[in-house]
Amino acid sequence: MAGVWILAEGLESGRELINIGQTLAREQNSTLTAITWQGDLNQELIAYGVDEILLLPALPEDEPRQAYIPIIVERARLDHPEIILFSATLLGKELAARIAGQLGAGLGSECSGLRWIKEEAALEMERLFYGGAAVQTIRCRQAPRMATVSQRSFAPAERQEGRSGNVIELPAPPPSPVRVIERKSRTQTAGDIAGARVVVCVGRGFEKEASLELARQLAQALGGEIACTRPISQEVCWLSEDVCIGLSAKKVKPDLYIGLGISGQIQHLTGIRDARVIVAVNRDANAPIFAAVDYGIAGDLYEVVPQLLAILQK
Amino acid sequence: MPDILSCYKWVADEAYIRSGSSGALDLNMADYKISDYDKNAIEEAMLLTEKYGGNTAVITVGLPDDTKGVKDALSRGPEKAYFVNDPAFADLEPEQTATLLAAAIASPIPYDIIICGEGSSDLYAQQVGPRLAEKLGIPCLCYVQKVELDGSQLVAERKTDAGIEVVAVELPVLLTVVPDINMPRLPGLRDTLAAGKKPVTEFTADDLPQGQAALLQTTNSKVASITRSSRMFGTDAASIGDLVQELKNSGVIA
Amino acid sequence: MDFRLSEEQELVRQNMREFAQKYVDPIAAEIDESGRFPAEVVAKLGEMGYMGMPYPVQYGGAGTDYLTYALAVEELSKSCAATGFTMSVHTSLALGPINNFGNDEQKKKFLTPLCQGKHLGAFALTEPSAGTDVNAATSTAVLEGGEYVLNGTKTFTSNGPVADTFVTFAWTDKSAGAKGMSAFIVPKDAPGLRVGEHFMKMGIRASQTSEIIFKDCRIPQANLLGGEGQGLKIAMNCFDHGRIGIAAQAVGIAQAAMEESISYAKERVQFGKPISKNQAIQWWIADMATDIDCARFLYMRAAWLKDQGLPFTKEASMAKVFAAEMCMKHSIKAVQIHGGYGYIKGQKVERLMRDAKITEIYEGTSEAQRMVIANNVLR
Repeated sequence: MAGVWILAEGLESGRELINIGQTLAREQNSTLTAITWQGDLNQELIAYGVDEILLLPALPEDEPRQAYIPIIVERARLDHPEIILFSATLLGKELAARIAGQLGAGLGSECSGLRWIKEEAALEMERLFYGGAAVQTIRCRQAPRMATVSQRSFAPAERQEGRSGNVIELPAPPPSPVRVIERKSRTQTAGDIAGARVVVCVGRGFEKEASLELARQLAQALGGEIACTRPISQEVCWLSEDVCIGLSAKKVKPDLYIGLGISGQIQHLTGIRDARVIVAVNRDANAPIFAAVDYGIAGDLYEVVPQLLAILQK
Repeated sequence: MPDILSCYKWVADEAYIRSGSSGALDLNMADYKISDYDKNAIEEAMLLTEKYGGNTAVITVGLPDDTKGVKDALSRGPEKAYFVNDPAFADLEPEQTATLLAAAIASPIPYDIIICGEGSSDLYAQQVGPRLAEKLGIPCLCYVQKVELDGSQLVAERKTDAGIEVVAVELPVLLTVVPDINMPRLPGLRDTLAAGKKPVTEFTADDLPQGQAALLQTTNSKVASITRSSRMFGTDAASIGDLVQELKNSGVIA
Repeated sequence: MDFRLSEEQELVRQNMREFAQKYVDPIAAEIDESGRFPAEVVAKLGEMGYMGMPYPVQYGGAGTDYLTYALAVEELSKSCAATGFTMSVHTSLALGPINNFGNDEQKKKFLTPLCQGKHLGAFALTEPSAGTDVNAATSTAVLEGGEYVLNGTKTFTSNGPVADTFVTFAWTDKSAGAKGMSAFIVPKDAPGLRVGEHFMKMGIRASQTSEIIFKDCRIPQANLLGGEGQGLKIAMNCFDHGRIGIAAQAVGIAQAAMEESISYAKERVQFGKPISKNQAIQWWIADMATDIDCARFLYMRAAWLKDQGLPFTKEASMAKVFAAEMCMKHSIKAVQIHGGYGYIKGQKVERLMRDAKITEIYEGTSEAQRMVIANNVLR
């Protein structure tokens, strides 16, 4: 079908795309199609709001997911979707760009907002650029209008009872020129910060690795996860890059973010801008982070955090 | 002995972004630079040829005035530059840039490996590299953090959402690299002075097939502001207690 | 009149800025506090080709014009006046005489390793009794069996404790007056050369300064620079170049002071608003910006004249005296803008103010500069 397409990599990110996908499809009086390789999700995706599933076949073990690109392109040329949405994961961004390159299509990257402009038959997209220092709004009028969507930009779609949809099986793609020799999972030494309600983030203000214990205690007291800025994971390597927050790292949307010993470079602030409440503790009253907080304490974290813990544990 | 072509973009330095009237973007005071991750791309080309032999070149799409960028790129080691430039090439979008690069490369420019940065420091669309690979009809590996060559086969480690994939592919191939892959060298004085003498081949709009119109229209750009109340509290126990109470009132802690 | 720098000049300046940010900024406060010589940074400057910039490629230099070299000195001095000064006293005062008056042998033997950054140079002219009054010096050099024997004490020799090669001056014929002093190249291992007292200074503390004592110090006759009696001429010649470097250093210090002041003024809130909104502060900063631009154009003009092969003595002196005096004035103002914080160790402006003072004194005091300018103008 034409209409709105989404690439569902999984159920969680898929539900967010279904939410915005449905809205856009309704505005156009058209349907929502999901491309997926996970056949066991079909009924779930349909229940959340998908009208049609384009099911990609399983791949040989040593082929990467990028092998699907020619098949997706072929189908898009056949069905002429108005809009194609991807999650802004590493895979999603690559697939979107390569498919857009084949189709000669316009693509908005890491969009935090999407709107259908009926009068112009345009997809309007909002995204950050210049390292997170600026925001741009762009419109695309030519089908397929493509976008990669930042996670947690949209709430997950709700389940609806009594929905039905059809499943179309797509043919196998030609063999991929790229051979996967090995897949290594990132060792999950850290918690999942993307979903955390409270994030305690550590920065260069911590003088030694042992003092991260203070931050861990605070995270525990608040039921949250510990995270860090880029220098902590990339330069001194005290924490894994899984918990690094920033422009080219993770973005979080917790209810509460507490930054300890963080100066507030724009690249880090980009990763936390959507937190509900931002608190920071920094020795330097002139640190840029204080312009971006709801609440701040200009003081020595080694003195403030123990006091904070004492009050919380009372 | 591979021919390695690195792509770079000459961009306004985001550190100089100012807010113009009514929040519009003001880039008048901006200095220009080679986009940060493109420096990693150029550096990786140099490291590979230092290890395996071969030739290096850079290519860029920009305005005729961007000659300083060409010298800057050449001062980082590549032997020659391809400078695709025309007054019409301001504010190009990724599809247009990739189309122009593909046309210039088809002229032909010899290559076994094309290396791009993961994304540019201005738009950070992360599209030009992958689009270019598709237009050239060559394999593409994105988010590469390590590269090795074994004859005509390239073996790379690339980042995935779940971790890392180790992959192998026959040349030619296009790579986009992550900033962690290497530390770009600081050009020494002699390299900077020698850059102006290296060969530069230019292509203008007339030399290349008719480009396509832009598909994306920017209707607004402004400085991103995080406007929050910035309420400050003291470092004494009573003030910290007040802060905790505020957080409880907001419902973010129990 | 095209006031723009060439692309090469802009790139060299940009690369020196990056070098300074990467290698010098992180240690500038520490080396000032401890007085430690940043040997590793100076070695890196040498590796990257910055220690012989304006000298011929055939002798290991980079063959840049003098303006490019001065721009690099300014950028380096902005991060650390001591490191910038180490580079400029080596390049202008130590290497200058060898390049301008040395023979091919001497250039091959001494200039080349100096330009390559393998050796560090020093210039030993000043003596306890001879500062501005060069003729009051007492060091002597006597030709004896194919060697010159030097006797005397030099003081305030910058790079003294760490140099490999000295350019020094002594009387070969006291009776000949202005034509009686000669210049010599002295390697540090020459028998009879001793590094004397190390001086602890108010500012540019990481720059090493000491006495150099010659006691029957023997050097080959071939180490005579130029001819006998050319000493004063050689000294005056290299001061002209050196002044451009010092002017650039002073501009670097002042530029740093202004940038610190701007950033502080924007963030320091008193009476409900940043102090940058106060007219007095605004005017002080406007004066800083104007004087810095003036000083920069003065040294650039002097460098340009030199590069064109035109006389530039007066212009170099003008640049030096103006840059040094405005640098002192504005580094004091920068501390004032910072209020109490400006007086505290660890604040950059505290160091800048101490660094600034010497620019009014060395390589020709401001009084000496005025003598030069007056002589030129009143002719």
